[in-house]
Amino acid sequence: MNMSLPIPKRMVFPSILLILLIVTPFAAPLITGDDPTAMAIPQRFAAPSFEHWLGQDEFGRDRLARILYGGQVSLTVAFVATTIAAVVGTLFGLIGAYFRGPFEFFTTRLADVVVCFPPILLALLVVTLFGPGAVTLIAVLSVLYFPAFARIAFAEALRVSALDFVEASRALGTPSRRIVLRTVLPNIAGPLSIQYSLTAAAAITIESGLSFLGLGVVPPAPSWGQMIRGARAFMNQEPLGILIPCIALTLTIYIINFFCDRLRDALDPKGAQGAKDAISQPVTTSQKAPDLPSDAVASVRDLRLVTGPASQSVDLIADVSLTLRANECTALVGESGSGKSLTSLALMGLLPDVIRQENGQLLLRSKSDGVVDLGKTTAQGLEKLRGNDIAMIFQEPMTSLNPVHKIGFQMVEAILAHRPMPKDQARNEAIELLELVGINEAARRFDGYPHELSGGMRQRVMIAMALSCQPKLLIADEPTTALDVTIQAEVIELLQRLQREYADGLGLLFISHNLGIVSEIADRVVVMYSGKIVEEGPTDVVLNAPKHPYTRALMGSMPAAHTDLHSSRNDRLAAISGTPPLPMARPSGCAFRDRCPMAIAACAEHIPSLDNVSDVHSVRCIRADEVVTA
Amino acid sequence: MTGLNPQPLLQVKGLNKSFPTGKQGIFRRQMMQVLRDVELYVNHGEVLGLVGESGSGKSTIGKAVLRLLDIDSGSVTFDGHDIHTIDRETLRGLRKDMQIIFQDPYASLDPRKTIHAVLSEALDTHQLHTGNARQPRLLELMNMVGLDPSFLSRKPHEFSGGQRQRIGIARALAVEPKFIVADEAVSALDVSIQAQILNLLADLRAKTGISILFISHDLSVVRFISDRVMVLYLGRVMEVGPADEIHFAPKHPYTAALVSAEPSLGEQRERIHLTGEIASPLNPPSGCVFRTRCPFALDECAAIVPELRDMPDGRQKACIRDDIL
Amino acid sequence: MTAFLLRRSLAALVMLLVVGTIIFSLLIIVPGDPAELLLTTGGGTTTPEAVAALRETMGLDQPVLIQYLQFLGDTLRLNFGTSIIDGTEISQAIGLRLPRTLELIAAAAILALAIGIPSGTYAALRAGSAFDVITSGIMALLTSVPVFVVGTLFIYVFAQILKILPAGGYTALSDDPAAHFRALILPAVSVSLNLMAIVFRMTRASVLEMRSHDWVRTATAKGLRRKLVIRRHILRNAMGPVITVVGLQLGILLGSTVLVEFVYNWPGLSGLLVTAVEQRDYPTVRAIILTVAAIFIVINLAIDILYSVLDPRIRLK
Repeated sequence: MNMSLPIPKRMVFPSILLILLIVTPFAAPLITGDDPTAMAIPQRFAAPSFEHWLGQDEFGRDRLARILYGGQVSLTVAFVATTIAAVVGTLFGLIGAYFRGPFEFFTTRLADVVVCFPPILLALLVVTLFGPGAVTLIAVLSVLYFPAFARIAFAEALRVSALDFVEASRALGTPSRRIVLRTVLPNIAGPLSIQYSLTAAAAITIESGLSFLGLGVVPPAPSWGQMIRGARAFMNQEPLGILIPCIALTLTIYIINFFCDRLRDALDPKGAQGAKDAISQPVTTSQKAPDLPSDAVASVRDLRLVTGPASQSVDLIADVSLTLRANECTALVGESGSGKSLTSLALMGLLPDVIRQENGQLLLRSKSDGVVDLGKTTAQGLEKLRGNDIAMIFQEPMTSLNPVHKIGFQMVEAILAHRPMPKDQARNEAIELLELVGINEAARRFDGYPHELSGGMRQRVMIAMALSCQPKLLIADEPTTALDVTIQAEVIELLQRLQREYADGLGLLFISHNLGIVSEIADRVVVMYSGKIVEEGPTDVVLNAPKHPYTRALMGSMPAAHTDLHSSRNDRLAAISGTPPLPMARPSGCAFRDRCPMAIAACAEHIPSLDNVSDVHSVRCIRADEVVTA
Repeated sequence: MTGLNPQPLLQVKGLNKSFPTGKQGIFRRQMMQVLRDVELYVNHGEVLGLVGESGSGKSTIGKAVLRLLDIDSGSVTFDGHDIHTIDRETLRGLRKDMQIIFQDPYASLDPRKTIHAVLSEALDTHQLHTGNARQPRLLELMNMVGLDPSFLSRKPHEFSGGQRQRIGIARALAVEPKFIVADEAVSALDVSIQAQILNLLADLRAKTGISILFISHDLSVVRFISDRVMVLYLGRVMEVGPADEIHFAPKHPYTAALVSAEPSLGEQRERIHLTGEIASPLNPPSGCVFRTRCPFALDECAAIVPELRDMPDGRQKACIRDDIL
Repeated sequence: MTAFLLRRSLAALVMLLVVGTIIFSLLIIVPGDPAELLLTTGGGTTTPEAVAALRETMGLDQPVLIQYLQFLGDTLRLNFGTSIIDGTEISQAIGLRLPRTLELIAAAAILALAIGIPSGTYAALRAGSAFDVITSGIMALLTSVPVFVVGTLFIYVFAQILKILPAGGYTALSDDPAAHFRALILPAVSVSLNLMAIVFRMTRASVLEMRSHDWVRTATAKGLRRKLVIRRHILRNAMGPVITVVGLQLGILLGSTVLVEFVYNWPGLSGLLVTAVEQRDYPTVRAIILTVAAIFIVINLAIDILYSVLDPRIRLK
């Protein structure tokens, strides 16, 4: 088995520092020949010299020697105690996770109890009984810190054990001991090593604190805390005596913490990249005046979105043009990574800030000001449009509502954001909307929290909220994907009914990967593949006579479209081979060509254009005319 | 597709299972019953599809038949052994014959292990293809699931979702099992990749005669891959029968509602509208668990729990009404 | 909600009992005679008469169960007995000094929250900016400096060199309010720096995490002004984890005051404690630690309840 552990680049520097920190004190005899306890009263407070690099203290002892030997004591106490705590604690945690029952109770409650005692106070209590000294300290610190390890090991082991790959090992009949050692332990090592460095730093703090109080390491053995204590009285005469051990101590703790921070980043890379409120401002590159056909509510022209640094930016989507009309439902269809969600987020002015709009124009018909070019609208202007003229519902109803606010609060907030009115009136409107979307006991639900509702009900609340200001355009991004099939059907029917009865003139942009739903709800279909529109037209035309090989393959892949086939009769689905390419690895020419059964040499030469095959139907394929519809 | 062996490979009787809920009273934990009196069998070489919405208990059945969790009561007989009463050593030996494929291709592979290590773990445990026979076997497995043999030295993060799912299948196949539980094995995949995996499973079944318990919420997928289909609702079996018949001529109101709610590309079937909200598994309705949403419910439905009855056409349903559908 | 309050209060009571029992049993599990141990640690010698006298004062001659019940009963009545060194009433000594320590802690906690939360929020909202990088750097340093180092250096800088603040001591508020607060500044700042750094880091991490939730996008999609999105849908949610951490860190804060009171000669609980430890005055040490643990448990109960008001889902768990 390959056990090489490549050290991430960002860990190299902190690791070197940490090793230096640990090794230096133990190399004391090589660095200085002085005895840390040898006094020379005549030379007290001697300034740094060639013989005594850091000078001499109040008893004329060599400071460098005292710092180094003192470091030995601090580090030994801290690391021995931490190691004992880590080993014992991990063992406890694993036993608790494996046997559960009383072991579990013991492991988790122990940490609750220990956390009630401020560590330094518990140490003092024990020192009262046993007297000060390094061994007492090690014993106290190990007892103090092992429950934290036990709790982390327990929680992490439980988390890891619930993962499918551990379940798979159990299903294979792998012996438990081997699962714990080979699978569970390596996967919980990260959090444990973070805890290890945190604990080591805390242990040094406590050891030096106790020594500072005169209750830790017993003199004449040197220790940093004691050195500070000793030098305090002579602070005025000799500030160096205070500064040197203070710096040594702080630097030591800082280096351990620094190592720990980097380790945490390396093991659990999180950052601001997921921030959902960091928005990239739309731009406009069109010279054309912002105008829309009279029946259109929004339009996207030549949209191109990129990511990455400017020098090597990668196209996520390109050449996307769409016109969305009143009273019409347009479906945007594609697999993950096709760019369908990005297109809709661009229209909302909600693109994450790591994605830039390089090209194109986004137009919207506002209720008040006619046609608006998003690229020419300020951030405040966009706030006025969102929710008012254009609204959106998302895929995950379970996380789309804020769990700490009541449903009514979140609805009223949406109404008041654009339509100032008395709170009572907003409340009544919100309850009416909840009734409209089919929520029973709307007045009671108004005062309830999101977690009291099922996923389907939450999605209804989202829809009610989106429609609260009667927008011109509603974007629904996979609104039913997370729902059960019977609930999905209800939500689709609700959307259709609302568009028909409630919101006259509403344009609907429906994003989905499911052609079945699309065929039920959409008037027009736009198929995307790898960041481009590959086919577009009225739903019945596209789904009955698809011209692009990708659309055809997509339909061939769907069991729902082939109810005549059955696997036991040796029927197979007409699957496409391969996987959609990542944005940085798209083939030249047509992005679909390496999966396309009809690809020819010419497909690699240039990106095909989106051409009309009839008045209403356009396809991006050089062989579109040759496709014979079955 | 019944094989020569008259005994089913897997037979489940009276299976009950409950879990403690997150909610607790001041002193006691509340229990939630997720499976009630489930009966099922899987014949040699057969694919049984298990359909249900979230909370129906379908995944719990998958884990219970492999004894990946303990059950409250009932029996699971696999190849003549009562899985939940045999000793650990016998069970370990039996594990070679029954395997599982998971839904989430990302969580189902240890991020720290190479594919070589993942597949070897299976073979090591049962001491199969040791020594010189190991490498050829690994290559054969990679071939079988359509992966490039050079991928063996790579780690999971280098693969796409579809490729990971193939690795998961290879791991399950490594020990040459007689039976596989496929728990939502294609649900997390894009349509085009889903079709590849479905075809792969169909090919494997045709070639090796393996039995599969295929768990999914997607009716069309289940119909395509399964010989028989079982429909679950709130931990109870609603209807069982041949795949095409269940799909095209459902007899139970819930199955009918489920099938009619499925988005299809062809002509739309008439929707059967369900009423009311989904009952909570914590507090299931008396009598028939489906009655609170059933458009055909009668007063009697609240009084008695309908038993799973044999129907004349060879299927079974748990509904007292024969005058509908 | 009532059930939740009841359950949590009950848990806190049980915890108090467990803590008391552990502190009590320390004396029992000590190898040998605790009285003799207390009189001889540190290399001292003692006489059998002295040991016997101490055994009687501490009630060690009674059976363990009687001792335990006696201990619980006394503790409930806040009767901690008398010091074995000078015979003073321990409850009285604690009553006199506890308010001073609490004042120090309160001042430090307010300071830490008042600076840690806004700066953490600002840093998270502008993650990666110069402000974020510099503040995070300073805070990382602050987590690494032990309180007594800060205290000692502060005295050197502000009292010895600049001579703008007193190096220590205490003046009662009633005697001279100005002097009282002047003497409070350095100790309070010293105690607060560690906690401030922790609050900063926690706030920053929590706000960053909340920013990545779907409901933030929903709020923006509603057309809510950015100020409101931040206040209602990021900050409001981020505060729960922050106050929980503050609650857990209070233990460390209480520990820090021991050192800071020593450094600045602040006549709080800790001075009493350090002297008692030096003189092996076990009953006093035990009483102080019980008091501190009880305060910690009560504060955390309050924080639990506050959290459940902030996040309704907590009540279900």
